[in-house]
Amino acid sequence: MDDFLWRATIGAALLGAAAGPIGCFVLWRRMAYLGESVAHMGLLGAAIGLLMGVSPLIGVGVLAIVAALLMARADNGLIPAGSFVGIVGHAGLALGFILLATMETVRTDLLGYLFGDVLALSNMDLVSIALAGAVIVLGTIFFWRAWLMMTVNADIARAEGRTNRFAEVAFLVLVAVLVAIGLRVVGALLIVALIIVPPAAARPLARTPEGMALWAALIGASAAPLGVAASYWKDIPTGPSIVLAAIAIFLATTLGARISDAVRARA
Amino acid sequence: MLISATSLSLRSGTATILDHVDFRVAAGEIVVLIGPNGSGKTSLLRALLGLVRTKGEIARKPSLRIGYVPQNFARDRSLPITAGRFARLFAKRAAVEASFERVGIAALGDHQLASLSGGELARVMLARAIASKPELLILDEPLAGVDVAGEAALYHLIAQIRDEIGCGVVLVSHDLHVVMAQADRVVCLNGHVCCEGKAEQVVADPAFAQLFGPHVAGELALYAHRHDHVHPHASTGSA
Repeated sequence: MDDFLWRATIGAALLGAAAGPIGCFVLWRRMAYLGESVAHMGLLGAAIGLLMGVSPLIGVGVLAIVAALLMARADNGLIPAGSFVGIVGHAGLALGFILLATMETVRTDLLGYLFGDVLALSNMDLVSIALAGAVIVLGTIFFWRAWLMMTVNADIARAEGRTNRFAEVAFLVLVAVLVAIGLRVVGALLIVALIIVPPAAARPLARTPEGMALWAALIGASAAPLGVAASYWKDIPTGPSIVLAAIAIFLATTLGARISDAVRARA
Repeated sequence: MLISATSLSLRSGTATILDHVDFRVAAGEIVVLIGPNGSGKTSLLRALLGLVRTKGEIARKPSLRIGYVPQNFARDRSLPITAGRFARLFAKRAAVEASFERVGIAALGDHQLASLSGGELARVMLARAIASKPELLILDEPLAGVDVAGEAALYHLIAQIRDEIGCGVVLVSHDLHVVMAQADRVVCLNGHVCCEGKAEQVVADPAFAQLFGPHVAGELALYAHRHDHVHPHASTGSA
């Protein structure tokens, strides 16, 4: 097996393992739209980074974090907060495309952020994914209880003085970091799938929040070798193949739960 | 004084929700907040809790320990969590077990939160709120979904808990009959404070009759005289 396949497998597995637990909160809090819009803004960040001649990853990271912090302040007004965030994200996406059109030479680089380029991961990329992944996992463990309280009922947590402003900011920053590193692997169009599909697949297997997070990490990590293998075997694009592997696991656990419920109802 | 609000005003668009409302709760006091739909009861509670910003001033006892039961608690089946674990997020295991026992729901600790019935959920929410022995209990329609017999028993329990831990209680409820029997003070709200005082005084107030109609006022006036206690058979009601 070629080195680049190993790097793809390891990189995507690290990303999936880190995404699973924090992805549970994205799922529970129904914040997938935020991840989507952050990814769109990240693409604009990559374009700006390339245009300014600094590393596109820096552009992605900075814009993703700023976008997450700003967009989380959106409130339900005359239009729902989620739609407002979607508008901002699409503004970023459209601007990113326009910038892309002005830069003939780097077009392929930028397309890599739209669709991901997991087979092109370098050893340095692996190191940065591992470091960012470790920060995300440690952050998730550290803020677990605070995030869980906010998830269960934000009003109770606030009213009883259990919130800390920093926990919420940390959540947004870590989601943005995850999206930013995910752009390299599966791209802006599919990163949200890697964040919410493993938790969704984990849900029928879990009776506790912690159980769901562990299952999500495991499923996120195992989608990588399955997807890379399928991609190698059938000669199909690797990033989408990893996402489809996660979705296959989701279908399996969901159907499995249905069947076991039906069997139990009969017994 | 646990909490004291002076001249709270809140507008939403062009509507006035709260209009110079003064409100205070002392330790060991049960204050019942009544008023028709849209009279600002929930808004006033949320203002006291710091969940909405209002004009006016709110003074709290320093590091006041609050227990809160919100009006609607949205459960989410995507989050797997038991009722016991939910309560333990906010209080120690022993305290949670004691309060579940107290509310008569020890058996519900292992049940998934999302699969509880409305009445069971109301009991879990109350048990969670009292587990950490708050100095101030703020209850917004806490017993919605609880059957009539259980309701009387639980209101009685709230009064008992007040006696034991000496907390102040603010209670919003539609069940005027049951609630007024437990109240030390009733505050009648309709954007502004219409009238307040002991239950008998409030139901006899012309402002009260105007707000709820002479029929309700007359009925409650009779009730306040006859029923200033909880019947023993009502307090032994089970779930």
